[in-house]
Amino acid sequence: MTIDWLRAFVVFGGGPALLIAAVTLVRRSERRLGHGPDESGPPVTTGQTGAAEISAYLDRMTTELRLPAADVAEVRAELADHLRDSIASLEAEGFEPERAIREALGRLGPPAELGRQLRTAHQSTRRLLAGAGGGVFAAGGGFVLGYFGGIALALLGFLAVFVVVALLAVVGVRLPDITSHDGGNTINSLLYATTLAVAAATATRYAVRTSAGLSRRAPRTVAVFWAVAGALVFGWLALFGMRGPQSWPGVALELCIPVIAVASAFVRIERPMPHVGLWAVIVAALSVVVMSLGVFAVSGLSVSGSGSGSQAEEAETIQPPDLHLDVVAPMAPAAWLPEGGFGSAYGSESASSGTRLWADVGWELPAPTIATVLANWRDMRFEAWHAGVNQYSIGVDTRYSSPFEVQPAVLHGSSLDAVFHFERLRDARSWWVVLTAVGPDGHRYRLDDGQGGDATFNGSAWDWLTAPQ
Amino acid sequence: MPGRIRGQLLKGTTTLLVLTVLREGELYGYEIAQRIRDNSGGAFVPNEGSLYPALHALEAAGALEASWRESDRGPRRRYYKITKTGLGMLEAHAQEWAAFSLGMARAMGVAGPKQ
Repeated sequence: MTIDWLRAFVVFGGGPALLIAAVTLVRRSERRLGHGPDESGPPVTTGQTGAAEISAYLDRMTTELRLPAADVAEVRAELADHLRDSIASLEAEGFEPERAIREALGRLGPPAELGRQLRTAHQSTRRLLAGAGGGVFAAGGGFVLGYFGGIALALLGFLAVFVVVALLAVVGVRLPDITSHDGGNTINSLLYATTLAVAAATATRYAVRTSAGLSRRAPRTVAVFWAVAGALVFGWLALFGMRGPQSWPGVALELCIPVIAVASAFVRIERPMPHVGLWAVIVAALSVVVMSLGVFAVSGLSVSGSGSGSQAEEAETIQPPDLHLDVVAPMAPAAWLPEGGFGSAYGSESASSGTRLWADVGWELPAPTIATVLANWRDMRFEAWHAGVNQYSIGVDTRYSSPFEVQPAVLHGSSLDAVFHFERLRDARSWWVVLTAVGPDGHRYRLDDGQGGDATFNGSAWDWLTAPQ
Repeated sequence: MPGRIRGQLLKGTTTLLVLTVLREGELYGYEIAQRIRDNSGGAFVPNEGSLYPALHALEAAGALEASWRESDRGPRRRYYKITKTGLGMLEAHAQEWAAFSLGMARAMGVAGPKQ
């Protein structure tokens, strides 16, 4: 047995360690924003001096700072201390109280200039680089945390909906099934998009708050940068990077992800992130367990209560094996076909590059014989038609009058091949492919009964938007 | 006593003066200004408006550490403490200043020629 040490390290060692480091970094950085658990903070200055002139001076100075809240509070408290000492000293020298205040303020210089100088002193290039690097690191950690949080959130939402639907079923209310027609694509794509949306929001918030704390800038100052970066990164990811099952609701939510990232950079950005504690994790886990047990209990009741009716329904909906192939083309006269017909061995295989279909011309026929057989036919092609709308109706879906995709049949050895991209089709869950060709009389004929299968869209949101109908 | 030195001449010396007085121990902002004035016999009175930006810049550069704690009298204050980086910076500044002042004295003819 070989061990993938790199993957093992990432999953069991480095990954969690980096995650813990990122969360620690966020918490430490958030202390600068004035909402963290900082016990060494400055004293409260409100009402200390009692002089409106001093407050007005400090207010004017503060407006030029544009620093995190903790830094603003510290600077303000420190200067208030200084003014108090300075005024007391001046009064001891014989200054009148009002004149002492004006003199002390005058020695500090213009408030706006002092504020600008203090801002420059705090916002060094070194801190800016630390903020940028820390922001990227925190974004990575936030993305992972948000991803897991998104999965939990999506599952809880799904369970809640499931419980409501099951309870309604118990009391006799049957809701229309809006998901079975696409093989669960709607649910899967919504779960996927919700997960990425939460991850994007968490990553952007972590980046803004961490970089603000480390670079000593007000969160709204750095938010613009991270909003643009978040919109670009998560916009690309939502449009091109997320590959999997898709649906219109899912794609709509995915297209909202860059907007969510931008909003996360600004909306209530001064407030701290909710830190998930141990009790929150325990309560969430217990909720999932309790809800799951409830769902199983309710679904069991539902099945036992309606079992016989469902079986009767199934029996009624089973269709006779009519493939409805006359919709495609009339079958070719037997005299023009090879012995045993085309497609005696018909097969398909799905891969990331599409679904390859082939139909044998004849089992182990020599090449000259194959050439003779095919000489009767021209414009040989595989036609892909929409197939039955549910599992009990097979063959061509008679609601359609033309194939949704046509590929030329290419001879490889003794078989005719074509490649279809069913995974790129929005509206074809089931397909039926038939080999057709134009015969000696100039009419198109069906050369075999073809083959059917199921398809699930698998691609990005961009693939979905640009997919053929 | 030569009297107070004009602010223009003091430009660039704030860092040296701050680091020098903090070598003796932890102080808060107002104390630093007072200590500079007292140590220089009143010759140097730092511009209070440039003192705090200098303190915060030195802290950002790692030359100083600051912490809030109770003072002997009155409320909590922000005390500054020199770090190893600050001590190295002080030594470099002091040598630079010594060379500068000696050069100035020689140029003005108040010190002997270079040996």
